Amino acid sequence: MLEKILLLTPLLLPLATAIFLNFVGKYMKVNQIALVSSLGLLGALSGALILFIFLLLDNFHPYTISYYGIINADDWNGRLNVWFQLRWDGLVAIMAILVTFLGFIIQLFSASYMAEDEKVGRYYTYFNFFVFSMLLLVMSGNFVIMFVGWELVGLSSYLLISFWYKKKEASRAGKKAFILNRIGDFGFLIALMMIYDIYYSFSFDEIFDFALRYPGSTEDALICFFLMVGAFGKSAQLPFSSWLPDAMEGPTPASALIHAATMVTAGVFMLVRIAPLLHSSPLVSLLIATIGTVTAFFAAFVATTQFDIKKVLAYSTISQLGYMFLAVGSGAYVAAIFHLITHAFFKALLFLGAGAVIHAMNHEQDIRNMGGLLKRMPVTGYSMLIGTLAISGIPPLAGFWSKDEILGSTFMAGGLYLPLWILGLLTSVMTAFYMGRHWIYIFLGEGRTEQALSANKAPKLMRRPLLILTIGSVFIGFINTPFFHGVENVLHEVIHGVNVTHPPEGLSFVVLASISVLAGVVGLFLSNIVFLQKLTNPLSQIQEFKLLPKKIRNIIVNIFGKENFITVNGKKLLSLLERLSFNGLYLDHYGNKVLVNKSKSFSRFVAVSVDQLLIDGLVNNLAKIPVLVGKQIRPLQSGYVRSYLSTFGIMSLILIALLILSIGGLL
Amino acid sequence: MDIQITTDWYLTLAAILFSLGAIGMMIRKNVLIMFMCVELMLNAVNLTFVAASRHFGSADGQVAVLFILVVAAAEVVVGLAIIVSIFSKKRSASVDDLSLSRG
Repeated sequence: MLEKILLLTPLLLPLATAIFLNFVGKYMKVNQIALVSSLGLLGALSGALILFIFLLLDNFHPYTISYYGIINADDWNGRLNVWFQLRWDGLVAIMAILVTFLGFIIQLFSASYMAEDEKVGRYYTYFNFFVFSMLLLVMSGNFVIMFVGWELVGLSSYLLISFWYKKKEASRAGKKAFILNRIGDFGFLIALMMIYDIYYSFSFDEIFDFALRYPGSTEDALICFFLMVGAFGKSAQLPFSSWLPDAMEGPTPASALIHAATMVTAGVFMLVRIAPLLHSSPLVSLLIATIGTVTAFFAAFVATTQFDIKKVLAYSTISQLGYMFLAVGSGAYVAAIFHLITHAFFKALLFLGAGAVIHAMNHEQDIRNMGGLLKRMPVTGYSMLIGTLAISGIPPLAGFWSKDEILGSTFMAGGLYLPLWILGLLTSVMTAFYMGRHWIYIFLGEGRTEQALSANKAPKLMRRPLLILTIGSVFIGFINTPFFHGVENVLHEVIHGVNVTHPPEGLSFVVLASISVLAGVVGLFLSNIVFLQKLTNPLSQIQEFKLLPKKIRNIIVNIFGKENFITVNGKKLLSLLERLSFNGLYLDHYGNKVLVNKSKSFSRFVAVSVDQLLIDGLVNNLAKIPVLVGKQIRPLQSGYVRSYLSTFGIMSLILIALLILSIGGLL
Repeated sequence: MDIQITTDWYLTLAAILFSLGAIGMMIRKNVLIMFMCVELMLNAVNLTFVAASRHFGSADGQVAVLFILVVAAAEVVVGLAIIVSIFSKKRSASVDDLSLSRG
C-alpha cells in the first residue's frame, strides 16, 4: 500500500510542477520558477531513491502495481484488459534515478543559462513535462503505458527543440524530429498489434514469462524487429539519425538532458526491457548490433569535420548510442545499461560545458571562432577535458569501464560479431580523435575572435553543476568494474533467465582493455598532432614532434612529404573524405532529393488533382445550383404589394373553385 | 310587385362590397385608398355575419361582428400611424415607392 502511493511520487511531482508552472508561471519571477521546478524534481529524485533503497532491501525483486483499468473489454475472440500499471525493478530504478538526478542538475544549470529568456516559465513547464513523460515511459508496467510515455516524450522533445519557434531553423528541426520519430513509432505500433494478436495481453510480466518458457518463436523475432524500428527512431540510429544534429537548435540545457543523456537512450532502455524476447532472436540481435556499429562509425566519421560546437556533440551522441545498440545486439544488456549511465554523465557534462562556452561567447557556436578559452574559463575547460577523456575511454574515467565492457563483450560474443568489434575499435579511435579536436579547437591556442578574447568565466550557478557532473564522470565508472559488478547485481532480476554475454575476465580482460585504451590514446594523439597548433600541414608537425624517433619521422616525411603518386592521390582521397564527412555522407541531401521532394511533388499532385479538382469541384458545383435557381425565382419577389395581392387573390380563387368542384363531386 | 328581401340579397351585397374592396386593393396605389378598401372588405364580412346570424336565428355571428369591429378599430390606429410616418419620410403615399424588399 505504501509503495502504491510512493511509486506515484516521482511520476506525479514533475507533472504537478509542469501544470502549476503552466498556469501560475506567468506571474512569477525567474528565480521563483527555477526554485519551484527544481524542488519538484528534488522531490521526485528523493522518491526514486527511497524506492531504490526499498528495492535494495528486497534483493531487487521486481514488482508491478496495477492502479485502474483503462480498457476492459471482451471482444469476439478474447479478452482485452489494459491496466494503468507501474513497474519497479532494477532497470526502472536506474533510469528513474538517472532522469531525475540529471534533470535536477541541468535545471540548476538552466537557472542561469535561461535567465534572460522571456519565456522561462514555458521552458520549465516543458522541461518538467518531459521528465514526467520519460518517467512514465520507464516506469510503465505494460506496452500500452510505455507507448503513451513514448509518444509524450516525443511531444515534449518537439516542444523543446522548437522552443525558440521564431527561429525558422528551430521550428523546422522540431518538425523533422517529430516526423522521423513518428516513422519509428509506426514500427512500435505494428509491434503492439502483433503482441496483442499473439499474447492477448500487454503486460510485461505475462509476456516475458511466456517468452522465457517458449523461446525462439518467429513471431517474437518479428515483434523484436518492429520494436527495434521504434527504438532506432527514438535513438537516432541509421536511417533515422538525421534529426538529432538538427535538434541542437533547442536550448542547450534541454539538449543536454533530452538529446544526449536521457530521451535518446529510451530506445536502448526499451530493447533491454524486452531482453526476454530479444535474447532468443539471434538474427534481430545481429541486425541491431550491425546497425548500431555502422551508425557509431558513420557518426564518428561525420563528427570529425563538424564545426558547430553542439553538432559535434550531437554526432558523438549518435555514435555512443550506436555502441549501446552494439552491446544490446551482442547480448551484453548489462554493458548497454552501464554505458547508458556513464554516457549520460559525461555527455551531460560536455553539453553543459558547451552551454557555458556558448553563453560566454554570446551565442557563438562555431568552434573556429573560439580558441584559448582555457585561460578565461578554467573550470569549464578542465571539466570538459575530463568529459573528453572519459568519452575517449581513458582509464580510470567512467567511459573506459563501460566502453571496454561493451567492446570486450562483443569480442566474447565471437563469430559474426568479430568484424563489429574491429569496427567498434576503429570508432573508438575516431571518437578520441574528434573529441580531442573539439577540445583543442575550443580551449587551446589563442582566441581567434573578439568574443573569444573577451569571454568571461561562467557564473557560479553554471560551474557547480559542471563540477558535480565532473565528479560523476570520474567516479561513476566504478559501479560496475570487473571487480565489482554493481549494475549487474541491480539488473540481475530483470534479466533473470536471459542469455547474457558476459565481459571477459582475467588476462583477456587486461589484453582487450589495453587494446581499447590504446585506441583511445591513438585517437587523442592523432588529434594532438593534427590540431594542436592548428596546422594545415600535419607533416611538418610530425617533423617537430619530439616523441617519435628521428628515423620514423624521416620515413613518414619521405613517403608522404613529397609530391608523388601516393601523396597526390592521398590528398585527393583525404579531401574527398573530408567533404563526405562534412556533409554527413550527403545523407540529408539525398534523403531530401529522394524522399522529401518526391513526396512533396506527389502531395502537390494530389492537392491539385484530387483536392482542388475533384473534391473542391464537387462542392463548388453543388453550391452553384441554389444560386442558379435563386436567380430564376428572384423576380417573383417584386416588392409591389399589389402584385402579391393579385397572386394571393388569384390563388384563393383557384382554391375556392377547387373546393366547390370537389364538394360538387366533380373532382 | 312583392319583393322579398331575403338573406341572399344581403349576401350578394356583401360579395359585391368585398369584391370592390379586393379589386381596389389590387389596382390602387395610394395607401389611404387601399386602407379604405380593407375597411370595405371587413365591413362586407360583417354584413355576411349579421345576415347569417339573422338567417340561422343565432347570436354567434353578431358576437363575431363585435370582435371584428374592435379589431378593425385597433388596426386603424396602427395602420394610420404607419401611413403617417411613411408619408413624413417619403413625401408620397404611393405603395410603389415602398418596394424595397424586392428580390
